[in-house]
Amino acid sequence: MLRKALVLVVGTSLASLPALAAAGWTGGDDLPTNPLPCDNSSVTVASKPYDGGAPTNPPNRKGKKITVVDVPKLIGIGYFNATSKGIADAAKELGNVSVKTDGPTKANIDEQITFIDNYITQGVDGILFAANDPVAIAPVLKKALSKGIDVVGYDANSTPDARQWFVNQAQFNGIAKSLMDNMAKEIGETGAFAIVTSTFTTPNQARWIAEMSAYAAKCHPKMKWLETVEAQEDNVLSFNAATTLINKYGPDLKGLFGMTSVATPAGAEAITQAKKCGSIAEVGLATPNAMKPYVMKGCVKSVVLWNPVDLGYAAMYVMRAVADGSLKPGATSVKAGKLGELKVVNGSEILLGPPFVYTKDNINNFDF
Amino acid sequence: MRLSFRSLLRHEAVLAVLMIVALLVLAHQSDRFFTTANILNQGRLVSELGLVALTMTFVIVTGGIDLSVGSILGLVAILIGVFWKAGILLPLAVLLAVCVGGLAGFVNGLIITRFRVPPLITTLATLALYRGLAEGISESRSVRGYPEYFYVLGQGEVGGMPTQLWLLLAAMIVAGVVLGRTTFGRATYAVGANETAARFSGVAVDRTKVLIYTASGLVAGLAGAILVSRVSTTRSDMGMGLELDAITAVVLGGTSIFGGRGTVAGTVLGLVLIQALRNGLALAGVKGDGTIVVIGFVLILAILVTNIFGRDGDG
Repeated sequence: MLRKALVLVVGTSLASLPALAAAGWTGGDDLPTNPLPCDNSSVTVASKPYDGGAPTNPPNRKGKKITVVDVPKLIGIGYFNATSKGIADAAKELGNVSVKTDGPTKANIDEQITFIDNYITQGVDGILFAANDPVAIAPVLKKALSKGIDVVGYDANSTPDARQWFVNQAQFNGIAKSLMDNMAKEIGETGAFAIVTSTFTTPNQARWIAEMSAYAAKCHPKMKWLETVEAQEDNVLSFNAATTLINKYGPDLKGLFGMTSVATPAGAEAITQAKKCGSIAEVGLATPNAMKPYVMKGCVKSVVLWNPVDLGYAAMYVMRAVADGSLKPGATSVKAGKLGELKVVNGSEILLGPPFVYTKDNINNFDF
Repeated sequence: MRLSFRSLLRHEAVLAVLMIVALLVLAHQSDRFFTTANILNQGRLVSELGLVALTMTFVIVTGGIDLSVGSILGLVAILIGVFWKAGILLPLAVLLAVCVGGLAGFVNGLIITRFRVPPLITTLATLALYRGLAEGISESRSVRGYPEYFYVLGQGEVGGMPTQLWLLLAAMIVAGVVLGRTTFGRATYAVGANETAARFSGVAVDRTKVLIYTASGLVAGLAGAILVSRVSTTRSDMGMGLELDAITAVVLGGTSIFGGRGTVAGTVLGLVLIQALRNGLALAGVKGDGTIVVIGFVLILAILVTNIFGRDGDG
C-alpha cells in the first residue's frame, strides 16, 4: 500500500514537471499583433469584410419598444457601474428601450453563461455583453442569435461570428502604445516592469498585453518585462499580487502595469503602503474616481482609459440601430446620439475613439 | 430501521411539498418557466452539478466531505486540453483525463484512510493542490478548437433530450440502487452511523471509503469533460465553487452532515429545487443577488423543518 502511495506521489510530481520547465508567459493571446509606429504618425487601416454573426429570422423591431439585457463581466465594480450608467442614459434618450443590467458577482464565465441563458429563455429582444472568455461565451451567444435575438458586445469581445457588432473602446494597439509610452516616459528606456492583469484568457486584457509586447519590442526594446500575474478582477487579489511583486523584485522593479480598473488602484495602494511612491511608477487602466487620491498625491502620474459611460452609451445606440435595421453588415459608420458618427473598423467592430489619458490636471473634471 | 425510515420519508416529503410549492409559484411568475424547452435546458445546465452531488451524497453519508471536487473538475478539464494538444486521440485523451480525476479521488481516499487525516482537512488541502496543478500545467492558457463531434456531449441532443441529461438520469438510477439496495450501500450507512462499530462488525471501512472518494473524483472528472464540451474551451478556473453547490444540494436533500442518513432521492429533490429556484427567479425578473438570498433562506428552512421532525425519529 505504501509503495502504491509512493508511486502516486512520484507520478503526480512528474505531471507537474512540464509546468516547471515551461518558460514564463506574458499573458498575451496568440492572435496576430499590429504595433503602431513609434512616433505619433497615424496609420491607415485597410478595411475588412463584415465578419459578425446574424440572428435567425428576427422579428421586425423597427421603431418598436425593445427589452434589452446588459450582462457585463461582473457587477459591482466602478467600471461596469459606469458602462451601466451610459447604457441607461442612452435608453432614456431613445425612449423606446427598456434595459436591465444583470450579471455575476465574480468574473466567472460559467455564471455569465447561465445568466445569458436565462435571459434567452425569458425572451429578450437584445443582449449586450462584455465577455469573460471569448470562446466559452460563443455557444450561448450563438444560441441567442438562433432565437432571433440581437447580440452586441462591448468592452470584451467574443469570437466574431457569435455577435453582430462589437463596440471597441479603443484600438488595442492604440491602448498598448499609450500605456507603453507613458511607462517609458516615467521609468526610462531601460526600466523593468511587471503586469497585474485579470486572467490570461480574458479577451481584452490578453489582446492589450500581446500588443504591448509587440510595441515594446519595436519601440522600447531595452525595457525589461519581469512577470505577469493574474488577479481576476478582485481588489484583494490585485493588492496581494502587487505587494508580492514589489517584495519579490525589490529595487529591480521600476514600473507596474494595472490592466484592469481594479488592479490599478490596488497596485497604487500597494506602492503607497510599501512607501515606494516615486521609485515605482504605476501606469494603468482605471476609473478616475478610484485613482484621484493617488494622482493628486503624485504617486501615479497618468491613468489611461476611455470614457466607459460613453462606451455603454454607444453600445446601446448600436443595439437600437441594429434592432431598427439601420445598421447593416457592410456599413462603414453608425450614428450614436451625442457621440456623433462612430467608425466601423476590423469588419464588425465599432470604434469609440482614441484612448484618453487622465493626469493631475484633468482628473478632477470627471466623476465616475 | 422503520422508525428512521419514516423520519427520512418525512424530510423527503417536506422537501417534495416545498418543491411543488416553489414550482407552482415560479410557473405563475413567468410563462416561460414550465415549458419543455426550458426544462430540458435546465437539465443540461444542472448535469455537471448533479453528477457531482450524487457522489457527494455517498461521501457525506459516510460522515466525510469532499471539498476538492471543483478543483478535480478543473484539473481534468485542463488535462483534456493538454493530452489532446500532445497528440493523443481526443476520445482517449478524455478517458485518460477522467482516469486522472479518479486517481485524484483515490489519493484523497488514501490520505484519509491510511494517514487518518480528517476528510475536511485532506480535501481542503487537495482543493488547493489540484487547482494549483491545473493552473501550473495549463499556464492559464486555454485549449480551443475541438472537433465537432466532441460538442455532442455538452451541446448536442440524443432522442430529443440533451446528451448529458441522459448521463445524469442513468447516474441517478445507478446511485440510487447502489446506495439503497446493495451491501455496499448498507456498508456506507454503517460507516457513517458508527464507524468503530462498523469496523468491529467486519465491514470493510477503509475499502468503502477509498472507493467512494475515487468515485467522487471520477465523476468530477466526467463532469469536467461535459463542461469542456459545453463551453467548447478549457479554462483553469472551471469548477470553482462547485463543491459548495453540491454540498448544498445534498444537505438540502436531507443527508445529515454527520453521516449515517441520506438518500439519493433527497439529493435529486434538492438539486431540482435549487435549479428551479435559480432559473425561475431569474425568469421572474429577480436579479442575481436576490436569487442567492432566496436559496440560502430555503436551505435554512429545510434544515429547520428536518430538525423539528427528525427529533422523534432519531432512534
